[in-house]
Amino acid sequence: MKVVKLHEGRSHEWLVFGRDEERPSKIIDTNQYMIKTANHAIILDPGGIELFSAMLAAVVHHVPIQQITHLFASHQDPDIISSLGLWDKTLPHATLYAPWLWEGFLRHFGCNSIKYNPLPDEGKSIRLDDIEIQFIPAHYMHSSGNFSVYDPQAKILMSGDIGAALLPDGAPLFVEDFDHHVEKMRLFHQRWMPSNRAKKDWVRRVRQLDIQYMAPQHGAIFKGKDVNRFLDWLDELEVGTGV
Amino acid sequence: MPSTPKNSAHFFINAATVAAELSVVLTEAKNISLEAMNAKALVARAGDNVRTFKPITDFMVELANDTIWLVKEINREALVLSRTSLSDLHSADAHERFKQAQARSRTAPFGDTLDPVAQSASHQHHQQSMQLKRHMRKLFELLDEIESRMLAANVVTATSRLEAATAADSYQASLEGIVVKLEKAANRIKHIASKCRHSLER
Repeated sequence: MKVVKLHEGRSHEWLVFGRDEERPSKIIDTNQYMIKTANHAIILDPGGIELFSAMLAAVVHHVPIQQITHLFASHQDPDIISSLGLWDKTLPHATLYAPWLWEGFLRHFGCNSIKYNPLPDEGKSIRLDDIEIQFIPAHYMHSSGNFSVYDPQAKILMSGDIGAALLPDGAPLFVEDFDHHVEKMRLFHQRWMPSNRAKKDWVRRVRQLDIQYMAPQHGAIFKGKDVNRFLDWLDELEVGTGV
Repeated sequence: MPSTPKNSAHFFINAATVAAELSVVLTEAKNISLEAMNAKALVARAGDNVRTFKPITDFMVELANDTIWLVKEINREALVLSRTSLSDLHSADAHERFKQAQARSRTAPFGDTLDPVAQSASHQHHQQSMQLKRHMRKLFELLDEIESRMLAANVVTATSRLEAATAADSYQASLEGIVVKLEKAANRIKHIASKCRHSLER
């Protein structure tokens, strides 16, 4: 599994884990993120059960497992968090932040030891040592209970499925040519995102943030001006085209 | 029998199937119970003419009650086995995935922090496998017991036939009818118990 440092500051680091070459075929590629502070670490969208071993092995290159005290699931999909039952065995004292709406559903993946901290619809902030992590509402983008994660210090927005693209194996981890990349995102957003109203609401919220990197759970990461290009593109895009 | 993900998967499906098959045995056991009531009424009516048939009707009642109890026990045990084998499957999967993570992180600076978790997963898997074996043994014992009861029923039907043949003409047909029904029910139960055993042994 490829690991790239997205941010390295005095107080914390952002790491992205993805492009797993050993993942079984027919399984969509996913990006997992970890924020590491002095004493803690949070894994954002830890991924599906099929890549658990690769993910765990990659993580211990950077932190001892005792340091992983928090998990976050943007929504309930299996590629996001079907590994929960195994993380539950690995990190029995950790806390999972996930939408309140999905608690009864997510527990089907196995959550006997980990503490489920349900995120309210309006979102919330937590502190990890010296940094603040904000859970930004992203409901219906695409899941009915859905959150993005924003780190105001590193100026990184982990956007979950928003900004996702279906890319071939070995594709670059960062968007290199936005206009070309748009075509890899169009179908995903039109078909997976159900609501134009929800989309506008999310774009409005996110425009208020200062974002250096927008990091989706599939595909490539947007940096600098491509973030605003993406927001403009999404704002105009007609979604919910499956009916 | 060693527990592997493959045979755990097989158990949890077949144990659930066994529980379903046993509903037929329960019906047959209830039929035996009904026939036992008929036989008791007949024996009471016939008095001394069929006096020797009385212990046979007592046996039929006992057989029906024991079979119903055994079926309920087997059913309970089969469902426990199904659940246990599913847990075993999960623990085997977790054990395997932690082993893979350990293998992949041999050179990782914090790779050794995985060891206690991997050991715990291995221990849990071992415990689950032991539990699975215990439940398997118990289920086979119960199936043995039901089969041996049915063998006894076969012996009793042979004796009953002789007794029916010596009874007064007016009761002969009714008694033979009861014997035939007991024999059929016992054979059917034996057949299902043996089918359950084979599907678990496969």
